[in-house]
Amino acid sequence: MGQDLLPSLLSAPNVETWAFYLLTTLSICLAIGVLTDRVVIRSGFILIGVFGTISGIFLLLSAQFLALAQIMIYAVGITLMVVIALMLTNPRLEREQAVVYYDESLPPLAKIFASCKRNLSLWVSVLSFVTLYAALIGENHWPLSDQAVSPDAVKVLGDALVTNYSIPFEFASVLLLAALMGAVMLAKGEPKNQDEDGNSTIVDEAKKQENNLALQR
Amino acid sequence: MQNVTIVKEPQSSINLALVYALFAAAAVGSYAGVLFSPDGIDRIVANHYDFWACIGLALVGWIVRSVGGHKGVIVTMTVLASFIILTLHQPMLLRYLTFAALLFSMGLYGMVQSRNAVRVLLSIELMLNAVNINLIAFSRYVDPVALKGQLFVIFVLTVAAAEAAVGLAVVLAIYRSRQTVDMDKFTLLKW
Repeated sequence: MGQDLLPSLLSAPNVETWAFYLLTTLSICLAIGVLTDRVVIRSGFILIGVFGTISGIFLLLSAQFLALAQIMIYAVGITLMVVIALMLTNPRLEREQAVVYYDESLPPLAKIFASCKRNLSLWVSVLSFVTLYAALIGENHWPLSDQAVSPDAVKVLGDALVTNYSIPFEFASVLLLAALMGAVMLAKGEPKNQDEDGNSTIVDEAKKQENNLALQR
Repeated sequence: MQNVTIVKEPQSSINLALVYALFAAAAVGSYAGVLFSPDGIDRIVANHYDFWACIGLALVGWIVRSVGGHKGVIVTMTVLASFIILTLHQPMLLRYLTFAALLFSMGLYGMVQSRNAVRVLLSIELMLNAVNINLIAFSRYVDPVALKGQLFVIFVLTVAAAEAAVGLAVVLAIYRSRQTVDMDKFTLLKW
């Protein structure tokens, strides 16, 4: 019962459309909130909502394993790390508001041009969306398949990960290890040999002692 | 003409160079898109009244904004209404792809426009999620048996986790040496 609940629910008429528009509406609103909120730590928390709605969209696409992985990795792990980084970098000191210089003495056409130049990244992103959309609706030869996703998709994924894609799987683990060590090395900071008064610290004094039992062979 | 004030450029040169590079990439990409689907632009111009409805919507939002409406509400309503207009008569796969394109463009805007380095990383996460939606939509509608798209999403998740860890560590290291996370003040490599 529990395993075929989602496909039977999705096969009902218009349920997928309604759920799609509900989730995308939430997701777009939250993403705009991420981009425009003045307080960076609040936009970090709003990002949890974006990832949650995107995992709902993964559920709509019947990718249950990836929906849960999305919640575990993105909504908990990465967002938590972002929030910790924000706390360590003390975002209250940062004034997010950009200083915008308006020149009131320009003629109107030059004002419009200056506004376009100020918002150039906005126009570039709008243009990129229009380009992507044009390419999408211009291409109508997708080799669509009528089959449903097999109910044991996790089994298919696991089989592929340890047979055909075992080399990239190993490389991914090596990459994660390297990124872990690199992040620790970057975030660790300089080794402090002397404290503020100029005295050497306890660790250095312990290293200098000849009768330190931990350093003897 | 004594009262002409000098307009200072608010964006840093790194941001501007990035914007120009993206602009060139968008131009090349649109040319490639025309090569890829020769009638895409024609379809939009000729018989897509929904597209013109979106442009009209944006103009209405611009007018309301200039009258004095709240910026966030207008932007949200315009983007949402444009998205619904553009996707309502499309098949399901194109809806997912359009949603992914919209998220990608929003992440692109945030990545270029933000001054806080952590928000740039958040925008990159948004873009990676848009790519994931694309891959899973294709694996649902094109390849539902072998599920290669979902496999690639697993690798993208791995790389995204590594990227977030290393990126935030870099931000912490820069903050420790410069006491700021402002993108405009990261001028370590400026000649």
